[in-house]
Amino acid sequence: MKALVQKDFYVIWKQMRMFVLVLALLSMVNSAFNTVFLVVWCSMLPYTAMAYDERSHWNQLAAMMPYSKRDIVLSKYVLGWICMAASGVFCLAVQAAAGIVSGSAPSVPTLLASLCLGIITLDITLPAVLRFGVERGRMIFMVVLFGVAISIGILVDMVDELPSLPVPLVVLLPLGAAAGTALSIPLSMKLYKEN
Amino acid sequence: MNAIELNHICKSFGEFAIRDLSLTVPSGTICGLVGENGAGKSTTIRLLMNALRPDGGTARVLGVDVSSPEFRAVKEDVGVVLDEAYYPETLTAVQVGKVMAGTYKRWDQGTYDGYLRRFDLPGKKPFKDFSRGMKMKLSIAVALSHQPKLLILDEATSGLDPIVRDEVLEIFNEFTREEEHSILISSHILSDLEKLCDYIAFLHRGRLLFCDEKDQLLETYGVFAGTAEQLESLREEAILGRESSGYGGVRALVRREEVPAGLELERATVEDIILFMVKGAK
Repeated sequence: MKALVQKDFYVIWKQMRMFVLVLALLSMVNSAFNTVFLVVWCSMLPYTAMAYDERSHWNQLAAMMPYSKRDIVLSKYVLGWICMAASGVFCLAVQAAAGIVSGSAPSVPTLLASLCLGIITLDITLPAVLRFGVERGRMIFMVVLFGVAISIGILVDMVDELPSLPVPLVVLLPLGAAAGTALSIPLSMKLYKEN
Repeated sequence: MNAIELNHICKSFGEFAIRDLSLTVPSGTICGLVGENGAGKSTTIRLLMNALRPDGGTARVLGVDVSSPEFRAVKEDVGVVLDEAYYPETLTAVQVGKVMAGTYKRWDQGTYDGYLRRFDLPGKKPFKDFSRGMKMKLSIAVALSHQPKLLILDEATSGLDPIVRDEVLEIFNEFTREEEHSILISSHILSDLEKLCDYIAFLHRGRLLFCDEKDQLLETYGVFAGTAEQLESLREEAILGRESSGYGGVRALVRREEVPAGLELERATVEDIILFMVKGAK
């Protein structure tokens, strides 16, 4: 599986340069929306790698190699998690640096909530993308992304800002991410096998 | 032990189907898989590597049923070159080497680097900027660098210039000097197969028409060249295919043992045998 994640990193590396630039610019503005947007946006990176795979028909070659379907499916989740975690840490570092000038501290709870939302987004969309391919799966992804954005908007309106989230939601989000992952991975395995 | 055993394999895709395919490649031999476009060569290779599930029949590679969980470990021993090199376009040869080092337990970086140098492949050029020949050479380098016991090559020499093709064929020959090493190679370049193979398997429209030792094939068949009247005097069972050679002459593929002993026949090449058989089948 490590080899597959490594391959995906090589594939998306050029895209990452532009990504890091946008990440840096948006991270400077310390807002809950930006943090959520960046982390959820990073959960899309596995789809970029998968689009390259589809274009080159990599899966045909991978089927000849000693990879299990579990390796192939899990590698996409791991890639998403690494990308989200890296963007979260980067976001936090830039916000902390910008905070020295502006005086505002980065919000760790907002970041953790963003990571949970990014994981949930990946949990919902990845099985569909593995089943239907990037092109058709992207539509599902956009619908989910739109839903997440609307939910965040409503949430922020309700509680003013994410650091002051009611306790149950702070508990619910990690639980939702964990439960979503526990359901999503077996579903992806099943859908990928049927593909 | 047999390197490859296919027993009564069937796979249908609607209009096209592989029908009752049984094929055996003994260990230590090179088998050439021949057939026109769409005959089912690539499908056969995918069935062999469990990338496709057959509707019926069984397949064993290096003694292991390909549908068993143990087959994943056997893939370590099989080097595959497909008809296209399906590496993601942004990867470089160096990166491919690093990915493969994490993929195969017995990956030999020294061997891989040696092939990159031997094939004159640039290490840091993106794969998308490679010519078809370079892409195939990279695939061959990968297939040979994890100490495989069996090579499965699907049109591996197409797109290579004659000099490199010759060199690659020599590499394949070197590979089978090890007693337990075997090769299944499909190619349209029949002269390559004639040079390289011990066995020739001929697939036509999803059916295996024959799988025989090459030397025996060449001994069994001969090419008759003469007049139509002379050909008509031969027994019908002796003639496998015929064509007009112009000026009223005909050429035909015949079974040597079915024609009169004194009749002079030209030596048949593998290409002659295949072409006449296809014409005969039509």
